[in-house]
Amino acid sequence: MAGNFWQSSHYQQWILDKQDLVRERQLDLQILSEEEYQKIGIFFSNFIQILGEQLKLKQQVIATATVYFKRFYARNSLKCIDPLLLSPTCVFLASKVEEFGVISNSRLITTCQTVLKNKLNYAYTQEFPYRTNHILECEFYLLENLDCCLIVFQPYRPLLQLVQDIGQHEDQLLALAWRVVNDSLRTDLSLLYPPYQIAIGCLQIACVIMQKDLKSWFAELNVDIDKIQEISRYIINLFELWKSYDEKKDIQGLLNKMPKSKLQPTR
Amino acid sequence: MDSKSKKYEIIEFLGEGQFATVYKAKDSVTDKIVAVKKIKLGTAEDAKDGVNRTALREIKLLIELDHENIIALFDVFGHLSNISLVYDFMDTDLEVIIKDSSIVFTQSHIKAYTIMTLKGLEYLHMNWILHRDLKPNNLLVNKKGILKIADFGLAKRFGTPDRLHTHRVVTRFYRAPELLFGARAYGPAVDIWAVGCIVAELLLRVPFLPGESDLDQLTKIFTTLGSPNEETWPGVAKLSDYVVFKKFPAIPLREIFTAAPNELLDVIGGMLNVNPLARPTSSEALQMPYFSNRPPPSLGSQLPIPSCIRDSNPEDQDQDAKGQKRKFTDYSEGGNYDFN
Repeated sequence: MAGNFWQSSHYQQWILDKQDLVRERQLDLQILSEEEYQKIGIFFSNFIQILGEQLKLKQQVIATATVYFKRFYARNSLKCIDPLLLSPTCVFLASKVEEFGVISNSRLITTCQTVLKNKLNYAYTQEFPYRTNHILECEFYLLENLDCCLIVFQPYRPLLQLVQDIGQHEDQLLALAWRVVNDSLRTDLSLLYPPYQIAIGCLQIACVIMQKDLKSWFAELNVDIDKIQEISRYIINLFELWKSYDEKKDIQGLLNKMPKSKLQPTR
Repeated sequence: MDSKSKKYEIIEFLGEGQFATVYKAKDSVTDKIVAVKKIKLGTAEDAKDGVNRTALREIKLLIELDHENIIALFDVFGHLSNISLVYDFMDTDLEVIIKDSSIVFTQSHIKAYTIMTLKGLEYLHMNWILHRDLKPNNLLVNKKGILKIADFGLAKRFGTPDRLHTHRVVTRFYRAPELLFGARAYGPAVDIWAVGCIVAELLLRVPFLPGESDLDQLTKIFTTLGSPNEETWPGVAKLSDYVVFKKFPAIPLREIFTAAPNELLDVIGGMLNVNPLARPTSSEALQMPYFSNRPPPSLGSQLPIPSCIRDSNPEDQDQDAKGQKRKFTDYSEGGNYDFN
């Protein structure tokens, strides 16, 4: 149901098991280390984020697109579809599902071209190789691989409610926790935990960063605290990875190493 | 997904709408009778838009819904913008039943249809979904007498305060006055209004408020139910397309619906309150005395079947396949993606 998370396709079909995720990725993990796989995921999440911002989409749409991307590769190898094509396709489908205005396919392609040229030229030296017909074909394939489950619950709404519950003047805390939720999209969290738990985990991280003591408030929450710790660990790991990683320097090598589809588009 | 089209053997053509063609078909694996709705290709410009938005709206919502009085979506197949949706097969719809002059409605029949509609709608609203196109034609009925709400092509999630909706929704006869006045922040009450019009139509056997234009629709509403003012409908004058109407008094419902019991008039009067905030919710409506008083609603098997389908296809019975929500497992382990 669209209004009840516990009866939604998100909860019933798309909260996956860590083991299953590792198993599904086996093919890719023979070629890439887990860390390399994650770095590629981060790169394309960023691509989706930048695309969304250029197209003036709401964060909700961007987040949905990112989850579609994650769900697709939770079942398929990276070589099944080039993530460079799947990313804009996820944005295209998410914008239609969330019904925030119309993005024309040609505008999407143009934006991909500019973003690649102006912002991601450290990763791709060539022009964006895909055209409208690729996006359309890919959209259908994506829809199919999502099992037509299109409504995605995000941590943003529960986060708002939680921060409201803490108190009236917590704008700073909210802004920070909101950004941590954005960061969480670069991890597998959206595939593994319900969004309200992710919201609590991100809130906890935000409290630690702000050195805000809300122990008694957290203690009152009726939530599996072990899960929250697991979520926090994912985010801390992401921050650790970011510390020692220079995407601009490393990404080309990673993209070259990435398993690729034998069928490349001809232009 | 293309191979799936072979899975369904088309039995007969059922009808054609603006966006789709509907066929009756048999699932060759389960032998189940289904309805296949083939979305029309549209113009080349539409094709560039990818998966049809109306179809996408139906898919995204129906996948999440599971209720006896909501049409079930079993499967989706096709290729590119050529997409087909597979639903419960339903024998007829309420419009056909209403128009069939050989059928005489009893109070129990009317009560049964109203309850099934409201239960489906209650479930939708509970899930923050507005249907926005309720009319007899979209209330499908099968031979077992089960009514299911269908056609979610205009449906939308509601409840985010900063999101406005278009007021250009709902077939005119069933369109609530706030929509006709251009409201962009509206809610479940627009669906309740439509149900009020449908119940009235069950009694009258013709559309209750058949406006010939949007303005005429408002005139029909106010000459029948009384024109609103700031007292009966606070805030009405602030709506963007508000126009002042002459003061019409409301015609007592008793004079319009001479055969209806008082409790039913309370239901209709409540749902057709011109002030949207004064209309009952579906849950509140279901709690009204009419629904628990005698006579009880007809059981499904006692509900009338229109003459056009009464004698045909007796072998189709027992094809009710509730709860078999589709899964894509048979082609999720697909190989490489082919660009050609």
